[in-house]
Amino acid sequence: MTFLQPLILWGLPLVLLPVIIHLINRMRHRPRQWAAMQFLLAATRSSTSHAKLRNLLIMLMRILAVLTLLLFLARPLVGGWMGWALAAAPDVILLLVDRSASMDSRVAGAEESRREYALRMLADAAEEFEHASHLVLIDSATRQASEIPGASSLLKWPDTRPTDTAADLPAMLQTALDWLIENEAGTAELWIASDLQASNWHPDDSRWGTIITAFDSLPQKVRVRLLATTQESPGNASISVAQLSRQQVSGGGEVRLAADLKRSQADAGTATITRTLNGVATELEVSVTGQSIRWRDRFSVGAQAGGWGKLELPVDGNPRDNITYYRYSDDHSPAALVVTGSALAPLWQAAASVAGHLRRTPATRHEPADVTPADLRNATLVVWQAPLPEGEMALAMRRFTDEGGRIIFFPPGQAAAARFAGLGWGEKQTGGDVGFVVGRWDEDQGPLANTDEGLLLPLAKLGVRQRQQVVGQAAVLAAFDDGQSLLVRQALGKGEVYFCATLPLRDWSEMGDGLVVVPMLQRLLAAGSRRLQRDSVAECGQIGAGDLQLDWTSVETGQRGDVQTQAGVYQAGEQWLVVNRPASEDEFERVEDSAVASLFGTLSFQLFQARRDDTALQGEIWRLFLFLMLLALLVEAWLIRPGPMADTAPLKPQPAVA
Amino acid sequence: MRQPLLARFPMEGSVSGHHRSPHRGSSVEFAEYRNYVPGDDIRRLDWRVFARTDRYYLKEFEAETNLRCYVVLDCSGSMGFAGEHGSRFDYAKRLAATLSYLIINQGDAAGLLHVTEKTTPEIPPRRNASHLQVILDALGQAQPTGGTHLVPMLHELAEKARRRALVVILSDCFCDGDELRDALQHLRFQKHDLALFHLLDPHELDFEFDRPVRFVDMEGSHSVVTEPATVRAEYQAQLKRFLSKLRDDCHEFNADYRRVTMDQSYDEVLADFLTERARHATRA
Repeated sequence: MTFLQPLILWGLPLVLLPVIIHLINRMRHRPRQWAAMQFLLAATRSSTSHAKLRNLLIMLMRILAVLTLLLFLARPLVGGWMGWALAAAPDVILLLVDRSASMDSRVAGAEESRREYALRMLADAAEEFEHASHLVLIDSATRQASEIPGASSLLKWPDTRPTDTAADLPAMLQTALDWLIENEAGTAELWIASDLQASNWHPDDSRWGTIITAFDSLPQKVRVRLLATTQESPGNASISVAQLSRQQVSGGGEVRLAADLKRSQADAGTATITRTLNGVATELEVSVTGQSIRWRDRFSVGAQAGGWGKLELPVDGNPRDNITYYRYSDDHSPAALVVTGSALAPLWQAAASVAGHLRRTPATRHEPADVTPADLRNATLVVWQAPLPEGEMALAMRRFTDEGGRIIFFPPGQAAAARFAGLGWGEKQTGGDVGFVVGRWDEDQGPLANTDEGLLLPLAKLGVRQRQQVVGQAAVLAAFDDGQSLLVRQALGKGEVYFCATLPLRDWSEMGDGLVVVPMLQRLLAAGSRRLQRDSVAECGQIGAGDLQLDWTSVETGQRGDVQTQAGVYQAGEQWLVVNRPASEDEFERVEDSAVASLFGTLSFQLFQARRDDTALQGEIWRLFLFLMLLALLVEAWLIRPGPMADTAPLKPQPAVA
Repeated sequence: MRQPLLARFPMEGSVSGHHRSPHRGSSVEFAEYRNYVPGDDIRRLDWRVFARTDRYYLKEFEAETNLRCYVVLDCSGSMGFAGEHGSRFDYAKRLAATLSYLIINQGDAAGLLHVTEKTTPEIPPRRNASHLQVILDALGQAQPTGGTHLVPMLHELAEKARRRALVVILSDCFCDGDELRDALQHLRFQKHDLALFHLLDPHELDFEFDRPVRFVDMEGSHSVVTEPATVRAEYQAQLKRFLSKLRDDCHEFNADYRRVTMDQSYDEVLADFLTERARHATRA
């Protein structure tokens, strides 16, 4: 609850007035000599409990009357998510607006999107405070804090428009925290509008604890109010390009494309996909079953070395996730470099071989002592089974990953103090008769993800007899039952570094049968091929600093485009940039209310679940307090009414009897 | 109009007077005929009846004797209660003095008992005119103090006064109702004529106070701070029960119960008292 006249709340101590008057009144009692004491004592004894209760109620009603009068005069504002927390208008209101792609989904039965709904509600609520509080907007796309002149401007502010980005709530809160510290603001409230999409909130992120602790340690009081726009949506489907390659076939070029189609409903049916290639649209009917399928398509592009296009779904609950863009070219084929001195070299070379028009090209192999930075020039994947690189080679491999290349290290067999990207090899361990069992792995993404058909890689049946411990902090993609890592990943620049804890040797594991190691290396090979592409592929909001400096023009509209927030295919001179919304925006999972509340720890937190029929977040409720005051006075009047009079007629003098 | 104070029941006096006696006498008031039995004085035979009926009858007449009256004045502390109409004790003393004057002036004997907590000074009933001054002097010196000792004193009086007498009690009766009932019953058992003047102040009946009051017991050390409005109904209910019971008890024992409030005038109270007794005596 907030107040338009908060100064009147200083009068709240007046609620004690009835108590003080009562005490003074009792102290002012008159002494009176009394003869009929036996009746008075009996009456006092029998009516004490009842009288005390009545006196208490009378006192309560009087206090309530004064309290409601003060609240009435203070002109309280309340509404759904504003809650009942007594507070004056804060010095600053930080509006944290989630304008990720998922926020543009329509609310069932309404014309507006969640983002538009949230903005309207926020603007209505902030209107009452714009004279008393500073309004600062932090949007999810730019994560820049900017003061807005008034609540009404929120609806037209450029940084509240729809985007194809994802949101990062911990990062937005960090921005809010930095702003509060930098500007030495007074009392503050964070008004967050979001659809609670789990991929945006990162509930398991370790940043939450740090940020909330920092908020707690601020000298001023910070209150958090969350407007959760989790209303029901009509049916929705999303599409995103998962794989794309241009292959040279006998008839010329052929583009092979795989797209992920996700739906909110699981009913079987057909979906219409409009495939646009270099401006020419083709409608395709696709049979779909289940909520998620991978759709594959291949089409001839003749002699065209490069081109662009998009896949588009019909209009549904969220127009933002109906389009995905792609570009193909024959820039470069992927190539792997194997560095090892062991007998496993042929296996690595075969597993990391590249499929050509007529045959597969095995990977290039070098001895550890012979490899030089120049060998990395045309590689997209490095398979390294040797002591970790040092010196100039290590620097070259670091640059290799910064450019987007992938490196996977396999155990050299002996522990060493050397580190690469903070990771290194520990002691070798033997699993005995039972061996080590792989307990869990990331089935959704990464080199161990399920196949396109949804089949699991046979990691659960993978017998591991020996392993070498991976030392250092990194994301664990697969782990044994005892918690030790099998495969870890460290992101470096545009690329990634992997450490695998076992070898495809019979003494070490059964990886040598190829059911795990081949798909793993092939996926890394494909992922690393971006290193050599002139075309940049990026996600909205994740554009590199170098790309942002270029003057990009949308090839679809011919106009300058905002590559940071809008998906599309852009061109700057000879360079191409394909920007799509992050795949995480297509996920429907939301954070539970209780989980959200726990994220904010000890901060004062209020959650308002928006409903379809909510038209305003707050309004003046002085009428309620006026009514309560009158009600309290009426009850008090009823309680203090004269008690039932005893029949006094018999008390009058009577004529004598007998 | 001069109205004598008459007993409602036969009295046992020592001399001839205005009050009925339980014995037959030689007054002009015819009492009854009864059969002659050997030994009766033949001079008292009614020869006219013998002539008509040929039977011997004796004609008997009422005996009339004088009245012995005990005025019992409760001198407990509660009798000192004073409202806007004056002190209850003063009111009681005036009633006692007036009644004593009336009794002695009509040739009957009047005595006085002050009932205090510790002692009970007694002035025995006498008929002579100078005795009135003794009573008035004693009334002048009486002060209300201490607790109520009325009940034991009434029992004592019932045992001590062997001849039938009129017992006039002036009290607020703020004592145990059952014990008072027993005492009154005891007096009636001894065939005394009872008149109870129950003296109450209008404040005690109405209990109207507008703000918290600390009530201090006039006969003890109790004190109660209370909001009168909250206990008024219960207080009045308790008082009403007590008064009803006392009135019913008096009715049961044929005692003359008179509730008197301090705002009533003396002459009105006494006139009602005397008139009612005269009417009762005439009926008897």
